[in-house]
Amino acid sequence: MTAAFAIAGRSIRLIPRLASTFIPSLVMPVILTVAFSGALSSLVNLPMFPATKSIDWFIPMTTTMGGAFAGVTTGLGVARDFESGFYDRFLLSPIPRTSLIAGGALAAAMRSLIPISLMLLVANIGQANFKGGAFTVVPLIAAAMGFSVVASLWSMAIALKFRTVQAAPLMTTAVFLSVFLSTAQMPLHLLSGWIHTVAKFNPVTKILALARQGFLGEVTWEGSWPGLLALTGLLSLTLLLASLAMMGLSRR
Amino acid sequence: MKHYGALAARAIRNIIRQPTAIIPALLFPLMFQTMTAAAMGNSTRLRGFPAVDSFVQFSFATTIIQGAIFGSTAAGSALAADIEGGFFERLLSSPVRRTAIIVGQVSGAALLGFFMTWFFYGVTAMFGLEAESGLQGVLAVSLVIALLAAGMGGVMCSFALWTGSREAVEGSFPMFFVLIFMSSAFFPRNLMEGWFKSVTSINPISHLIEGVRAQIIGPFDAGAMTRALAVAAAAFVLGVGLSLLALRKRLAG
Repeated sequence: MTAAFAIAGRSIRLIPRLASTFIPSLVMPVILTVAFSGALSSLVNLPMFPATKSIDWFIPMTTTMGGAFAGVTTGLGVARDFESGFYDRFLLSPIPRTSLIAGGALAAAMRSLIPISLMLLVANIGQANFKGGAFTVVPLIAAAMGFSVVASLWSMAIALKFRTVQAAPLMTTAVFLSVFLSTAQMPLHLLSGWIHTVAKFNPVTKILALARQGFLGEVTWEGSWPGLLALTGLLSLTLLLASLAMMGLSRR
Repeated sequence: MKHYGALAARAIRNIIRQPTAIIPALLFPLMFQTMTAAAMGNSTRLRGFPAVDSFVQFSFATTIIQGAIFGSTAAGSALAADIEGGFFERLLSSPVRRTAIIVGQVSGAALLGFFMTWFFYGVTAMFGLEAESGLQGVLAVSLVIALLAAGMGGVMCSFALWTGSREAVEGSFPMFFVLIFMSSAFFPRNLMEGWFKSVTSINPISHLIEGVRAQIIGPFDAGAMTRALAVAAAAFVLGVGLSLLALRKRLAG
């Protein structure tokens, strides 16, 4: 566990040193919030739209996405370490391989707090409704932080498999697609055709519902457990992928 | 003229030989359109939304403009690669006209923009898109897009000449992404409100997109087309002007 914390600490220290790699995960969700909340403000006039203000609908989605992009930066760090040869030194050291994965996941959870804090500030400036009171932020943080760890495990799996920064589009596209093929823009009952089917079975839909809870109404256990279950499922799946990629690396 | 032709032909050959440079520009806008159109389909029921067959018809203009801007990055990127690889220095030591270096890249970007419009139209037409102004309307749109792509190609070439770095050119794309997001690219302006509506109203990209969109969702509209052409022409003048300025600065340095 000490090694995992040391690796996570190194990843956090790299933020100011390699700011250009982290800044997009802060800028992107702010831009998306402004663009979606501004351009699509009339969506709340659609029948049965669950939010009264567009920012209430979009800010949980962009916060979750910001968390995910912060998670992807840990995978990018692994790929960069491979290219510079630093990761090979990790592999030669007596650090347990599980600590390498756990350290990255821990770093992602800590890194996600930065975009989450920023987006809460944006939510306040944009006068979002915190209908769940002080509890509004609890499911939001759980969703964004959990999804950040999912994204970091996924991006680490890709980095361990391809061992190059050039695999970055594969890391980010998967996150982008998983979010936009859910209820990112519209609630499920206002989606139709193939996207309704995809969004219905996409676990990110449940995670976004968890994040949105406090902005759309009261925070309840009934409204929380499907999202927590979806997160657990995705965490297990991506952990398996990262572990398999690490095992593949050991056989190299 | 021979120099201009040779370098323009080289730029076009580079595009054909390196499809990886333009494939994202072709796929990303289509992917984004597919997802947005599917998700936003029901928003066309809103009171005040323009009369359209589908959200695909509404958002087609955004797709081609996104593609043209994305694709024009290839021109700047190619020039930066020439600088990094030393080919640019060899061009300078040859008796090639200096402006031909810019004209070559800008011509390649313009041609790519023209063909991209038809590619996007062909793909979306297979899924039911109908341009209300007919093929003549699409032809007029593709000429405007070619002019825009040339201008954006010029802007990207100026970045290449100023920085000499391919990474810096490719990293500049998000700047244009913001311009698209802060426009009426994804929703009609009349359904926006507050400060965001004011921002989109002064953003030239809104007027460009609306001018192109008018030809897709309705019969040929000369007024809207003129507005789109004016924005594309301004982008062309700005892009070529900036790139010539950057070239002069690089040659002086």
